[in-house]
Amino acid sequence: MRGLLSKIVAEVLWPVLWFCLGLFVIMGLLTALLPKVLGNIHEVFDNMPLVKPLITALLGVDPGNQISAQLSQAFLWTHPTLLTLLWAHELMYCSRMPAGEIDRGTADFLLCQPVTRVQIFLAESIGWLVSGAVILSCGCAGHLLASGFVHPEMRLPFRSALLVLGNLAAVYLAVGGLAFLLSACSDRRGRAVGIVFAVLLLSFLLNFLAQFQEWAKSISWLSIMEYYRPAIVIQSGLFPTSDVQTLLGLAAFSWTTALVVFHRRSICTV
Amino acid sequence: MSVIETSGLTMSYGARRGIQDVSLQIEAGEIFGFLGPNGAGKSTTIRILMGLLRASAGRACIFGMDCWKSGALIRRDVGYVAGDVRLYPWLTLNRGLKILSQIHGRSLQSEGRQLAERFRLEPDLSVRKMSRGNRQKVALVLALATRPWLLILDEPTSGLDPLIQDTLMVCLRDLAAEGRTILFSSHTLSEVESLCDRIAMIRGGSIVEYDSLTSLKARAPRRIQILLAPDQVPPAEWPDGVRVLWQPQQSGGQPSTQRDLLSIPPGLLSQTCLLEVTGQSSEFLKWIAGQEFADVTIGAPSLDILFRGCYADDEDENREAPAGDGTAIDTSAQSGAVT
Repeated sequence: MRGLLSKIVAEVLWPVLWFCLGLFVIMGLLTALLPKVLGNIHEVFDNMPLVKPLITALLGVDPGNQISAQLSQAFLWTHPTLLTLLWAHELMYCSRMPAGEIDRGTADFLLCQPVTRVQIFLAESIGWLVSGAVILSCGCAGHLLASGFVHPEMRLPFRSALLVLGNLAAVYLAVGGLAFLLSACSDRRGRAVGIVFAVLLLSFLLNFLAQFQEWAKSISWLSIMEYYRPAIVIQSGLFPTSDVQTLLGLAAFSWTTALVVFHRRSICTV
Repeated sequence: MSVIETSGLTMSYGARRGIQDVSLQIEAGEIFGFLGPNGAGKSTTIRILMGLLRASAGRACIFGMDCWKSGALIRRDVGYVAGDVRLYPWLTLNRGLKILSQIHGRSLQSEGRQLAERFRLEPDLSVRKMSRGNRQKVALVLALATRPWLLILDEPTSGLDPLIQDTLMVCLRDLAAEGRTILFSSHTLSEVESLCDRIAMIRGGSIVEYDSLTSLKARAPRRIQILLAPDQVPPAEWPDGVRVLWQPQQSGGQPSTQRDLLSIPPGLLSQTCLLEVTGQSSEFLKWIAGQEFADVTIGAPSLDILFRGCYADDEDENREAPAGDGTAIDTSAQSGAVT
């Protein structure tokens, strides 16, 4: 297992460090700047009517005409830049093995070592969990650091930040599990990444359409974003147990199925 | 117990041809040649042995263990170099040795360093900066450094210069002398001929020859080139067991392939007969002693001819007789018969 972990570190160390730095900077900047930008949001709502449903879709609650301090901090945790960086890391990491290895032909080298496929998959999963924890921690650190420069009334309580972070971590696990599953079923990395990306895009779209369309509302439970609503978490101050359970259930199912598929399938690199 | 044992091994890639009923038995200390043209099924067989592919029928065992079920255990004592070597761009030989040392639970650094010197390889150069030949060397050194009891090499000399090829051959002979087994897959007959004890030839996914090199050589034909004296005509009849590939000024002759004529200087085509003799040639030698030819050249038994015969349908060669005073005899279906 040590050898496999060394190989993973050699492969992903630099990209993970860049993602850490990116998330640290972005979260810091958003924490410091969002309250100022969102202070005048009613003007944006007046001039661009589509922005409001978009923000409603992101937050999961109707912000009204003014965005409160709490909602502005909730917006930080659903900001597309944060989610894009996090998911980019996941798509990059989780599609590496086996789809990426088969795609570039290195599967022959890896799978012909005296290790079982289960060991390979577990090592990859450890790397995925550790890198996710490090990246999320860096984002959180950027947020906490920048909070010092924000007016105390606009600051998000540490406890609320942790609750949202827990919900975001569950999203991370669900998306990563799905990416592992599609990677295990595919011989082409691009195909695996494309499908997960499409699922995420459809989730956003469904959440957006659910603001206007009844049919979309009735199937919005299919969207991953339906189970990530920081605004409600911050407002209620309660841990979103059922949302997290749903996301963890999806993660566990996808990850286990990926392991079984990878363990049983023939791997052909020619 | 055989080191490698397969029986009735079958695998198909959907509509694409895979392998059919491949049965092999390879003993300890043997260098076994696995020959076949591109796409014949060599790599598929090897991938099943390495546990990458699951056979749809039949059985594949290494060291008496099932290759699919006990793959990881088997691979502790198996070194493998893939046909088309692809390595991680960030990998250096030293880093690879470190990772493999951790996986195998023992240091491979010293063995790896010695092999790197032998193969003239820079241990700290990353794969992304290497030529194809050097990448092949890295794969070979990493496979050899573990000192495996079974080495499976799928076309290992591709991209290597002749000197390094010789180094590899010496290495492999040394390993075999220590009782280690080598499965050497190739489509180049000469390297298999110089190295292996036994060979299997695979064609269209099925084994078409499976014998010791000595037995195959006994069955292999010899090429005989006869130079006629000026104004001499070829004999009206040839002895039994002789296959005429080319003779001048007689209707019905055709070389089995255009390539057969390449050994004859163009200026001598009208004076040369090209024959093939299989098996014992003493009768033929007696007959030829009574003839008055200008010159006779008798070649050694050629596995190359046997090999190409096995793959005749796969070869895309021009079968038309050359223009000029050549003749055409279709001998392809009448091996060993006078025509």
